[in-house]
Amino acid sequence: MNLDKLQIRATLRSGWQALDLGYLMASRWWLPLMLSAALPGLLLFIPLLVVFFTQPLWAVFIVWWLKPLWERLPLYFASRKIFAEPISLRQVFAEAPALYLRQLLPWLLWRRLSVYRAFDMPVTILEGLSGQQRRQRLQSLHGKYVDTAVSNQLIGFLFEIILCSGLFMVLLFFLPEPLESALYNSAGELALTGQWLYSLCAFIAIFALLPFHAMAGFALYLNRRIELEAWDIEITFRNLARRKQKLASNTTSLLLPLLALSLMVTSSFIPSPAYAVVEHDQASAQQLIEQVLDGEDFGREKTLSKWRFKNPVEEENDKIPQWLIDFIEWLESHFDFFGESTDTSDTPINLADWIKILLIVAFIALLGYLLYRYRVPLTRAAADKTDADLPQVMFGLDVTPESIPRDVPAAVMRLWQNQQPREALGLLYRAALSRLLERHKLAFRASHTEAECATLVKAHGNLGLSDFFNGLTDTWQRLAYGHEVPEADVVDDLCRRWRREMDDAEV
Amino acid sequence: MLDTTYRAEIPGGIELEAQVVGPLPRFLAFALDLMIRGVIMIVLSLAMIPFGLVGAGLWFLVFFLVEWFYPVLFEVFARGQTPGKKTLGISVVHDDLTPVTFGSSLVRNLLRVVDFLPLMYLLGLISMICNQRFQRLGDLAAGTLVISVKKTIKPRLLEEVKPLAPAVELNRHEQTAMVDFLHRSSQISAARKQELASILDGVTHAADEDKVLTLQRIGAWYLGVR
Repeated sequence: MNLDKLQIRATLRSGWQALDLGYLMASRWWLPLMLSAALPGLLLFIPLLVVFFTQPLWAVFIVWWLKPLWERLPLYFASRKIFAEPISLRQVFAEAPALYLRQLLPWLLWRRLSVYRAFDMPVTILEGLSGQQRRQRLQSLHGKYVDTAVSNQLIGFLFEIILCSGLFMVLLFFLPEPLESALYNSAGELALTGQWLYSLCAFIAIFALLPFHAMAGFALYLNRRIELEAWDIEITFRNLARRKQKLASNTTSLLLPLLALSLMVTSSFIPSPAYAVVEHDQASAQQLIEQVLDGEDFGREKTLSKWRFKNPVEEENDKIPQWLIDFIEWLESHFDFFGESTDTSDTPINLADWIKILLIVAFIALLGYLLYRYRVPLTRAAADKTDADLPQVMFGLDVTPESIPRDVPAAVMRLWQNQQPREALGLLYRAALSRLLERHKLAFRASHTEAECATLVKAHGNLGLSDFFNGLTDTWQRLAYGHEVPEADVVDDLCRRWRREMDDAEV
Repeated sequence: MLDTTYRAEIPGGIELEAQVVGPLPRFLAFALDLMIRGVIMIVLSLAMIPFGLVGAGLWFLVFFLVEWFYPVLFEVFARGQTPGKKTLGISVVHDDLTPVTFGSSLVRNLLRVVDFLPLMYLLGLISMICNQRFQRLGDLAAGTLVISVKKTIKPRLLEEVKPLAPAVELNRHEQTAMVDFLHRSSQISAARKQELASILDGVTHAADEDKVLTLQRIGAWYLGVR
């Protein structure tokens, strides 16, 4: 048992999680697990079918009763597989006689209906314990996992029934009528053909699901051992010991070369100033970007093939839509429910009709409510998107066009001369945002930051405008967050540039 | 490595972990919910007897609503848990581990019709055991998962263990292992504890009789005992 090679993650799991892990193990190794159980099963089932030719259900019952045997080879296989030991089905079958004989009678007689079977089986098969020892071992293993072990056994049995009846049902669905009636006799019981089909379904169900509940029991057993023997701690401790050892050997043997290397390393790792100077011009950068975007990481080609009409069918243009006709016909056929039905019914007030009307009214009210509730998204979907999405407030600044004075620079200078630099620049900045939103149709959102807004303006393509807005953003941020009042000529310059970029542009 | 852990990366580059839940607990949770729904409908049918056919009509209406919206409403308004799921400590979430929304809950529950085929949820069962995340067809369509909800266990501190700073720096897993060793000491047999402790002879350099105690003291140190 080499825990370093353990193929399941060793960790403390609840009983249910252990069962889930078992199902995962079973689905991973389903084919070999199923074959290791079903091939010997089939070897017995075929002769039994010959013997019980007229009562095939007995044959499948005997195979079912022998399930404690069939579970042994999968268990043996999995016990090697979880430690990544190479094992083939041939090797498993070579072990079969010894495994089958181990405590054969108890398992087939009084332990056959044990509700802990899958959980207890590893103690017999893998640990080889019996008698008093086995009892003590089971006592220490069971603990709080008893109820999950029982659930595994009982629900596993239920799953078998569901799969078996389901398969039979599917067969019935697909059999043509005359054959289907041949499955039952005149009394409505299964005829011989029906019994044969049912037996085959049962055989398939037993062996298709056997890996799952055998592995669930095994995982529960493993989980208990992980808990009791602290496998997870052992694995971590071993890794730690190895790491420590490697560290120790590395430091002694590598110390000298490392010293020599360190001198070279320090000199070669200093970044050369040339890195910062290299600049790509616009065209070559674009080329580089396209080259990267063409790479495999950014998308792949897929060939799709599908059927299509050679000559597209022309749509029929009915004057009256079909649903309206259907609706009117429905109204006609149900018309009496509004008036005449009360006459035909015995009760003076037809309660059912009232409830019907109530429900229809409630339905219409619900429809109306939903339309009202989602009116904004609905109308927005219909209307032009950019207009509906204009933010009203950005960074706590009101950017609606109504809040901006007509002559912005004049208002700004007035505030500036009144010793209100914060208000002055605030007005200039939000006026700029408002104009950009309104006239340049920039897609600012309330969630954007100042820097993101500046990037958007740059992407807009107007160099002068972008330059002005960058300067404005920078000055505003310094004042707003850094409390750094700009020089008077900076504000002057911004106002002048406002006239050039914003006011002149529109004339 | 076989494990039931499901990992989802959220935009910040942080990885979230959850334990996916398989067919057995989910079947049990379903059976519990079925029982609860059954009791509700039986009580209602008794209450509707005096109303005759109108009562029967109402009963069918309620049956329809309970059958289709019982799971949806509980999943949306009770953190993805119907009463059955709550008992089993499991919960429905999206496959990016966000809470389940009305839309996806409705999809996964309406598609129970498909999972039910040909009888008793056989298709759902087959889909679950073929799928590494134990999703039934409704889950696959709605992009949902059933995960187990962690119960937080308060660590008990052993008062009498004096803390000891470890001589070497330990990574996160190793620190957890030290703490686990302390917490689970009562479950592990004395011989096994000795065996585990001697793996770390090269790290702790403790005498034979002190080995176990040394590791426990390191565990206590990582628990913040000073």
